[in-house]
Amino acid sequence: MKRACAIFFCGCLMLAHAQPLRFPPPQFETNYTRPTTEFPAAAAAWKDWADVAALAGALCLAAWFVLRLRSRTAVFWLSIACLAYFGFVRHGCTCPIGAMQDVSAAFADRDFRLPATVALFFALPLAVSLLFGRVFCSGVCPLGAIQDIVLIRPVRVPAAVQTGLGILPWVYLGAAVLFSSLGGGFIICRFDPFVSFFRLSGPAGALVSGGVILAVSTVVGRPYCRFVCPYGPLLGLCARWAWKHAQITPTTCVDCSLCRNACPFGAILEPAPSGIEERR
Amino acid sequence: MKMAEKPLDRRQFLRRIGFAACAAGLSAAAAAAALRARPGQRVWQIDPSRCVHCGRCATHCVLKPSAVKCVKDFSICGYCRLCFGFFRTDPLSLDTGAENQMCPTGAIVRTFIEVPYYEYRIDEDLCIGCGKCTKGCNRFGNGALYLQVRHTLCLNCNECAIARACPANAFVRLPAEQPYFVTREGKPPV
Repeated sequence: MKRACAIFFCGCLMLAHAQPLRFPPPQFETNYTRPTTEFPAAAAAWKDWADVAALAGALCLAAWFVLRLRSRTAVFWLSIACLAYFGFVRHGCTCPIGAMQDVSAAFADRDFRLPATVALFFALPLAVSLLFGRVFCSGVCPLGAIQDIVLIRPVRVPAAVQTGLGILPWVYLGAAVLFSSLGGGFIICRFDPFVSFFRLSGPAGALVSGGVILAVSTVVGRPYCRFVCPYGPLLGLCARWAWKHAQITPTTCVDCSLCRNACPFGAILEPAPSGIEERR
Repeated sequence: MKMAEKPLDRRQFLRRIGFAACAAGLSAAAAAAALRARPGQRVWQIDPSRCVHCGRCATHCVLKPSAVKCVKDFSICGYCRLCFGFFRTDPLSLDTGAENQMCPTGAIVRTFIEVPYYEYRIDEDLCIGCGKCTKGCNRFGNGALYLQVRHTLCLNCNECAIARACPANAFVRLPAEQPYFVTREGKPPV
């Protein structure tokens, strides 16, 4: 009996396997033809390469504006254009800040596919920073531009606070590299505060935190860039020893501190006490 | 004046060393990345054989409406008069009245073909990817309706927000050249 049951059950299973469809597709008597489902292709690869070209072009323009034209207005309008393209048209992806995680994931995991365009997105701003300073931050980065346009009245952040909070990007950088290389996710993308503005939709938490950061950046210049952005430390490292970057000529500076007071980001330090060089 | 005559002061020397170190580091990293890089990009897709039609595709995508849409495989559709992808479980009547429809946005178009067959098409502009129709079709019908990521819409995020929320681990990465499961039973091309 048991055996008969088993055979019957197996037979039922085989029958079910042979006829996977519960309702056989009909044979039509009218001259109706079945439509075919359309599967539109993924975005063409040339679009990614166009983005890389746009990034390279914008970086060159920014370097030219900063070092040759010395025009803050030109840099500002370039950053607005980049905000429009990389931000609102391309929805903030690919961005060099997030591309860092792809690179570290590719180093940790051999099966991870790292497209050449993403690798270039990571490397180009660093290379330009090594040549001309952090022109990526000032002229190209859409995250910086969106904070710049809402900056109304910058207040000076105390030096101690600035130094203290300046550790945060390093911590974030370490965490991002650790998480992405150990397969724990891409935290920079997950906690990006402005990408939901670029996409004009997003989870409530991201919209609120983005709104708070924008509100803060009306009085504190670029708070995300200075105290959060994990790509900043890498760019800063390259810019510190840059080939040519915007600098104040020490021999002609009269130390009027106009520039130091005007800089909304606290980037200009007091000159070192004079006399040291002569003593040497 | 003496300083200017010097060919290279200490500050400049240190800066050049730093520049060289950074340049060397960057090019070493670039070379290593180029050696490790695998050609070809991968894109997100839903494996229909694993999908449990939970509805999170509609709510968790970073895009609103979601990049996930319902797809119809006409070759296995039974053209049922009582389609469980189209009708609620307790329809008042078997017609296209909104109160009878399963789809919350009315994205399924029902047209009469011949007795007793009806054709069901997906209007993807209205579809939000909630998976209610695919659930009905897979539970009670042939499974001709299934969810797929539409790559004309998908931003191909590094970390797909729906994949993170998916309870069935149904999100896979396919090569960009073959980014769809063309049939419900289709195996992922590797």
